[in-house]
Amino acid sequence: MIRKLTSPWLLAVLAAVVMMATACGSTTPGTTSKGTLTVAGFNFPESSILADIYGQALSHDGYTINYKLNLGTRQVVSTAIESGQIDLYPGYAASELEFYNKQAGEATSDPAATTAKLNAHLQPLNLVALTPSAAVDKNAFAVPQAIADQYHLTKLSDLVPIANKLTLGAGPECKTNAFCLPGLVRVYGLHFKAFKTLDTDGPATRAAFKSGAIQVGLVFTTDADLKGLGLVVLDDDKHLTAADNVLPIIRTAVATDEVKTVLNSIDAKLTTVDLIAMIDKVANQHQDADAVATAWLQQHNYSS
Amino acid sequence: MPVGKFLSYDPWVNWAWLSTHVPLFESALQQHLSLTVFAVLGGLVISLPLGVAAHRWGAFRNPVLAVSGIFYSIPSIALFSLLIPYTGLTALTAEVGLIGYTVLILVRNVIVGLEAVPPEVIDAANGMGYRPLARLLRIELPLALPAIFAGIRIATVTTIGLVTITAVIGLGGLGQLILRGLIENFHTPLVVATVLSVALALVADLSLAGLQRLAVPWARNT
Amino acid sequence: MGAKHLAVGFLVSVWRWFADPANWSGSEGIPQRLMEHVQLSAESVAVGAVIALPIGIALGHYGRFGNLAINISNVGRAIPSFGLLVIAFQVFGLGDLPIVIALAALAIPPMVTNSYVGLSEVDPDIKDAARGMGYRELTQLFRVELPLAVPLVMAGIRTSAVQVVATATLAAIIAGGGLGRFVIDGIAQQNYPMMFAGALLVALLAIATELSLSGVERLMVPRGLRLLRAPVQSRTTTSKAA
Repeated sequence: MIRKLTSPWLLAVLAAVVMMATACGSTTPGTTSKGTLTVAGFNFPESSILADIYGQALSHDGYTINYKLNLGTRQVVSTAIESGQIDLYPGYAASELEFYNKQAGEATSDPAATTAKLNAHLQPLNLVALTPSAAVDKNAFAVPQAIADQYHLTKLSDLVPIANKLTLGAGPECKTNAFCLPGLVRVYGLHFKAFKTLDTDGPATRAAFKSGAIQVGLVFTTDADLKGLGLVVLDDDKHLTAADNVLPIIRTAVATDEVKTVLNSIDAKLTTVDLIAMIDKVANQHQDADAVATAWLQQHNYSS
Repeated sequence: MPVGKFLSYDPWVNWAWLSTHVPLFESALQQHLSLTVFAVLGGLVISLPLGVAAHRWGAFRNPVLAVSGIFYSIPSIALFSLLIPYTGLTALTAEVGLIGYTVLILVRNVIVGLEAVPPEVIDAANGMGYRPLARLLRIELPLALPAIFAGIRIATVTTIGLVTITAVIGLGGLGQLILRGLIENFHTPLVVATVLSVALALVADLSLAGLQRLAVPWARNT
Repeated sequence: MGAKHLAVGFLVSVWRWFADPANWSGSEGIPQRLMEHVQLSAESVAVGAVIALPIGIALGHYGRFGNLAINISNVGRAIPSFGLLVIAFQVFGLGDLPIVIALAALAIPPMVTNSYVGLSEVDPDIKDAARGMGYRELTQLFRVELPLAVPLVMAGIRTSAVQVVATATLAAIIAGGGLGRFVIDGIAQQNYPMMFAGALLVALLAIATELSLSGVERLMVPRGLRLLRAPVQSRTTTSKAA
């Protein structure tokens, strides 16, 4: 049978071919790379910045980097790295330790000791934590200025008599995070009236403060916008939080000497002041995390 | 202090920012389109034989429709996450989920389309000596095309929306920009990505409608 | 890698999650979340219906703007629910308001299209007869046309309702409540049994919504009117926004 040019089958095949051609896009052949690494970050801007810094430094050194930014909470990211779906993420020494040791309470304010204990737990998982940097970002708890004035709050212990009137807001991982709800109960004896699941130090938490849905909320010590929002951080007088220094968590299989050198040299130069400045640019001024990362790397003479 | 909402001065679309970030949207669109195309084509490849089988063997029909109806009610975000331990943070995970949903849409339309073929036509074809497979390919499926095309259009538009949800497994095309807009409290990527997703879906729908008019000139379908 | 998720062992952990009494009590238990989910869905469909039905019915009755009414479904389907919910959050902040607004917006298109088709397909002879019998316009609409259009109008409401129930899952991404909390928190805490249980509950609620609204429709179809043969589009128009 002679088919007309507009036969449905022919058109269907043509359409499919056209669609596949547009969809597949062109892939530029790259120069030989030293290998591919997948770098992930937690679901808050600071983590995207750190992942970009690590990733760009390795990329400059000749590795091909895939990014999985805003991947999720520590539970999500650790599942991914343990199963080999990702190779590297920027962690925080004490928080990683208390996660991988299931809240055993081993973290101290000494970054080196904390990291050593962390590596003891990471080793059977074929993971390793590299040298911690001087840059620190810890969990902190803030209240609106009005509430602080009303109840004369300056430190977390001050919350004990009134906690049962207050609502705590944080991300879903707070319920199992040693430096969040379980820690507040264990170290301070705080029993809040309610817990509201929001996000990890993000816009939902700030909105909840503003609307009065929460009176106490989890924030980070590197946040620069708290004062402007009328929030005051309560002092961690009983030292719940510990050495949350930034450090790379990486799969041992890809932790070659070269990779380790690159990452450790970044950690040697990263400071808390740097972090605060970078996060301010991304979270409050809407600059790109990768652009901010590039600027930091250039400033520290790392990438040309 | 910021005026009005808790968000600081952040226009809904910052054109200056947009003009310097076009490549970001280009690559997001490309990933979005590629995920969609494979999902719809993959869905077609599976649902055509499945629909034909369900139509041919009556006992198959209701279970297929019932099971597909149930699967359809499962929130996609849960489906993608449940697949991760098996298929990883990859496009495969996204495609298994997305193809699952396109199949559910398309198989219904294939069945309904085949059922709409008038029995007299089948009789006539048999009378003319067509064997079943030839009759299927040359008579029944072409006559079922309007319904199948309707399904392809719905599946394509639906998939474009569902792709945004694959942002939770590190994919997502335009969904990544929506996620970024949420986490960084930034309007522009969120609004532009959402608008682009709508535009992409409408363009796809109109193109498919045009294709349908070419392929099925005897049947007008809105 | 998949050891934790071997099918039988996994289903046992899901069963255990359901069997745990702690998950049935309190402000985060199943009954509370179920109620939140139903409330959000019902409010959204109601708000959507209040806007969509008059528009669709009017357009269908007057036979105007048919292409618009039919194509509004296409546009509605094209809106990504994830994006719409986040935009609603950035405009309205926290709480139920942004969720209801976003879900109502998603619920409107199927109801407009289906009521338009239902009204416009009423046999013109019947409308003539009604006019001949002296019915005034509104009476004709309510006594004659609407009852005949009930199957399609209800199909539109049903489609919207099922879609809203499924999409309300995403409300948890913007700190909302409902069954989606089990799904989103399950992902965040990598608690797969909880996540699966949440998804299952949403699916069951969606099916229950479909069945109960079908039942309502059967009650509302006027006596003597057998099931209309609905056009292919609305019968197979199943959309998925989440």
